[in-house]
Amino acid sequence: MSPAKTLRILKQEEFDLLLKWLAPDPGLAGLIYEKIRWRLVAILASRGCTCPEELADETIDRVARRVIEIQDSYVGEKAIYFLGVMNNVHHEYLKRPVLPRLPEPDDDGEAKERTHLCLEKCLDKLAPNSRRMIEQYYAADKRAKIDLRKRIAAELGIGISTLRLRALRIRDKLQTCIEQCLMLEARL
Amino acid sequence: MVEDRNNAIEYSDDTIRRFLLGRLSASEQPAFEQRLFSEDSLDARVRLAELDLADDYAYGRLNHTEHELFEEKFIVTADRRRKLEVSRTLRKRFAIAAPVGKSRTSFIERLRSLPHFNRPAWRYAFGVVIFILLMGTVWVAVKRESRLKEEITRRFSPRRSPTPTVPLESNHPGNSSAPEHQASPSPMPVHDQSAPTQPTVVVVALTPAVSPDSDAPSVDLPKGSQDIVRLQLALKVNEPGSYRAELLTADAQSVFSTESIKAWDSGQAQIDFDVPAPLLKTGNYQIRLSRDNAGAKENVANYYFRVR
Repeated sequence: MSPAKTLRILKQEEFDLLLKWLAPDPGLAGLIYEKIRWRLVAILASRGCTCPEELADETIDRVARRVIEIQDSYVGEKAIYFLGVMNNVHHEYLKRPVLPRLPEPDDDGEAKERTHLCLEKCLDKLAPNSRRMIEQYYAADKRAKIDLRKRIAAELGIGISTLRLRALRIRDKLQTCIEQCLMLEARL
Repeated sequence: MVEDRNNAIEYSDDTIRRFLLGRLSASEQPAFEQRLFSEDSLDARVRLAELDLADDYAYGRLNHTEHELFEEKFIVTADRRRKLEVSRTLRKRFAIAAPVGKSRTSFIERLRSLPHFNRPAWRYAFGVVIFILLMGTVWVAVKRESRLKEEITRRFSPRRSPTPTVPLESNHPGNSSAPEHQASPSPMPVHDQSAPTQPTVVVVALTPAVSPDSDAPSVDLPKGSQDIVRLQLALKVNEPGSYRAELLTADAQSVFSTESIKAWDSGQAQIDFDVPAPLLKTGNYQIRLSRDNAGAKENVANYYFRVR
């Protein structure tokens, strides 16, 4: 990536045009944008990039700058276009000197405390059955995991893979709820 | 990988996990990326697999290679770090006994897992401890002072010993009355009349268990500082030798241990393991019982219980 390209800041009009190209409805465009960004980050991380978020944003910026040129002529799945641009960004990344990975921020005791409090709040919002399932599912230690999950699945009359899926969906809801709770706490 | 009815490859959970850990082969990777970009169902599965992977890391369920790859290739985004933080919180909240791979836990990690003393709760607790220590010091000083006074009084007050010689009548005027001796003994130290309070002993019978069970016996914690929780550990066989019982928290932190305990038999061989009640808090505990077999430690059984 050349320094000139790196330093170029995306204009608001370019970003708005990108969203409009993705979908006419701004709400839907936002969802598509988030989905594409998440997929770019997942792929770049899987390829071993140490800064996948940065590269995903660079990819999106480049696509946004090109929308004005391609919006009338481009045919096909728009998300796939991002994949092509991402390959170029990744290729340039591989030519960069390897930078040491930044140290992770130190464990913040107060942040942990807040996460714990948010978990309690979010658990209270779950339906009783979901809460019970999560409590049982996450009680298993290293050795007892398989036995316990077999027992829970048998109690519920479902297979282990279905149990895993259900538990992870509840876990996903908890994750979203906790992140929202933490954001609210941060604003207060 | 499994092929579905439409001849499209249905990726297995293992393939998804390998993608997340950056372990797909050079031939698998482009096809997977293409599908991820075009299939919402695969997107949803990968998102759930991220949570599953973070949970497995937090619970110490990854093998050595996966553990390394997780740190090197997976935990590289803020979003994933937040997921891991929630996984760790879930483990702390729910796991009964989750020994995270001991061989992999570095000294630094162990230090990090120590309580954070900069929390407000800890500050208040330290404040209270310092206040109690101060009050205790003052009380000891006052008590010592009064004892010292008593000691001084006892040592240096004139002794009232009987006169060895009988006073001769000629030496004294006949009309003079003999000096009256004022027999006023120094006041005795006040004896504390209040009877010492008897400690409460709460007895709980425990049987060996292979793993923590949701039906593990519960104990209602007595409140007194002298109170004792007596854990009666049932033995399958009463073997000779002395036993060692160690009380651990749900995350395998040692709380208390007793050596050289002898088993006794009242129809059922058992060990009495007395734990001071103030050492216990609400939560899940386990006990490791081992036996000294001619100098060699031999694990006998584990027991689990819960404090309410």
